Amino acid sequence: MALEYIIILFLIISIIISFGIGANDETMATIYGSKTLKMKELLILATILSILGAVLLGSAVSKTVGKDLFSFEIDHSMVLTVLISTAIWLILSSAYGLPISTTHATIGAIIGVGILLGGPFGVNWPTILELGMWWLLSPIIGYIVTYYAYKLIHKTITPKLTGFKSYERSEKFFSYMLLAVICWTAFSRAGNDCSNAVGIVVGAGIGVDLNIMLIITGFSLASGLVILGRGVIKSVGTITELHPSTAFAAQIPIAVILFFGTILGIPLSGSHMLVASLVGLAKARRAPTRKGMWKIVSVWLLTFPIAAILSIVLYFPINYFI
Amino acid sequence: MKLFKEKINELDEVNREFLSQSLTNIITLHELVNQFINKKLNKEDLEKVIQGEKKCDRIKEKYVQVLFRDKRALPFLVEDRYSILMKLDKTNDKIEYFARFLEVYPFDLYEDIKEEFKILIDSTVETVQELTTCATLIETDFEGAYKKTFEIEAIRRKARKAKFELLNTIFKKTKDPTKVYLTSKLVTYIYDVASWAEEVSDYLRGLIIKYPSR
Repeated sequence: MALEYIIILFLIISIIISFGIGANDETMATIYGSKTLKMKELLILATILSILGAVLLGSAVSKTVGKDLFSFEIDHSMVLTVLISTAIWLILSSAYGLPISTTHATIGAIIGVGILLGGPFGVNWPTILELGMWWLLSPIIGYIVTYYAYKLIHKTITPKLTGFKSYERSEKFFSYMLLAVICWTAFSRAGNDCSNAVGIVVGAGIGVDLNIMLIITGFSLASGLVILGRGVIKSVGTITELHPSTAFAAQIPIAVILFFGTILGIPLSGSHMLVASLVGLAKARRAPTRKGMWKIVSVWLLTFPIAAILSIVLYFPINYFI
Repeated sequence: MKLFKEKINELDEVNREFLSQSLTNIITLHELVNQFINKKLNKEDLEKVIQGEKKCDRIKEKYVQVLFRDKRALPFLVEDRYSILMKLDKTNDKIEYFARFLEVYPFDLYEDIKEEFKILIDSTVETVQELTTCATLIETDFEGAYKKTFEIEAIRRKARKAKFELLNTIFKKTKDPTKVYLTSKLVTYIYDVASWAEEVSDYLRGLIIKYPSR
C-alpha cells in the first residue's frame, strides 16, 4: 500500500483510538460523584483540558510508548493491529460504562501480535512482567493510600467541624481544591493518554508531523469524552457516596502518585488506582460500594487476553490489505 | 480569601425568620391557653396562632427556594436542612391544629385539672422552645445541640406524666361524657405537640451523630 494511504489510515486509526481513550476517561468521575459540577459543565472543562493537555504535554511522552515491548523490528501492519485492537476494546468497554486501562489494552494487543509473529520470545517479557507487576500494584497502592488519606482527613479536620456551617465552609474549600487537582490530573493525563494513540505511530517511523497528530488526537480525545464518556464517569463516580472532602481524599493521592510515577517512568494505571481508591474510601468510611463492582474487576482481568486475542484475529486481515 | 470569610447568608436569614416565627406562635399559644385556664380567653385571639402558622408556611416556601437554588456542592446539607424544616413545619401544623380545636371547644376547663393542665402546656411550650434552640444550635454547635436533645426528652417525659395524670382524672368523671371526651382530646392534642417536638429532637440527635463520621 502506498505510504500516503498508510499515513491516512494511521491517522484515522489514531483518531479512533484517542476517541476510545477519551470515552474511557474517568478523571472527572469524582467531580461528578461529589456533585461539584454538573455533567455538562464537567464535559466542557474536560474538553478544554484534553485539547490543551494533548497539545502542550503530548510531545514529551509520545516517543516513549510502544518501544522495547517487541523483541523484533515492528512494521506498519503490526502497529495498525495494535491500535485497532486497543480501540475496539476501549470503545466496547466504554459503551458499557466500564473503566479500563488504555496502557494495558495496548500492551495486551502488543503481546498478541508479538506471540503470533515471534513465538514465545516475540515480546520482551522482562519489560512486560514489570508492567504486569504495576498492573497488580496500581489498585493496591490506590486502595491503601486513599484509605489512609481519608483517615488522616477524618482525624485532623472532621473533629474541628462543629456545625452545619463549618461543614459547609470545609466542603466548599474541598470542592475548590478538588477542582484544582482534577484540572491538573486531566491536563497531564491528556498528554499521557495521547501518547498511547500517537506514540506507536511515531515508533513506526512513517514521518507524520507530531504536532498535527497531537492536535488531531486532542480533539478526538475530547469528542470521545463528550459522546461516550458519560457512562464511565457515572459508573466510577457512583462507586461510593462522594462529597467534595471524600472525593478529594480519593483524588489527591492518585494525582501525586501518578505525577511521581510519570517522573520515575513507572507505568501506573490511573483508572485502576481511582477505582481501587474509591473502594478504599468506602472501606475507610464503612460505607457501601455500588453493586456490580465485579464487572469492573472482570474487565480489568480480561483486558490483556481480549486485547491479545483481538490483535491475533485482526493481524492477518490487516496485513493482507497492507 | 473570600472563601474563608463569613458571608451574609440569605439562607441564615430565612432560617432565623422561620424559627423566630415558630417561637412567636408557641409563645402566643401559651399566653392564650393560660387565659383559657383562667376563663379569660377571647377565642378570636386564637386566630393569631392560625395566622402565625400561615406566615410560617410562607417563610418555609421562601426557605425552600433559597435552599434549592444551588444544591450542587453540598447536596447532603441541603437534604438535611430540608428535612429539618419540614419537621419543624409539622410542629407548627400541630400547634395550629390545637388552636383550631381550642377555638371550637365549647366548655370551660374542669377546675380540678387546671394545675396539671398548666404543667402540660408549660412543658409542651418548653419542648418547642428548646427544639427551636436546638435547630439554631445545629448550625454552629453540634455538641450544644446534642445536649439540648436530651433536655427536650426530659421535658417531654414531664409532659407525658402530666398527660396521663390528666386523663386519669378526666376519665373518672361520670357527668357529661361529651365534655369528658372533648377534654381528653384537648389534652391529647396539646401533648401531641410535645411528643412530636421530641421526635424531631431525636431526629436531630441522629443527624448530629451521623455528621462527624462523614
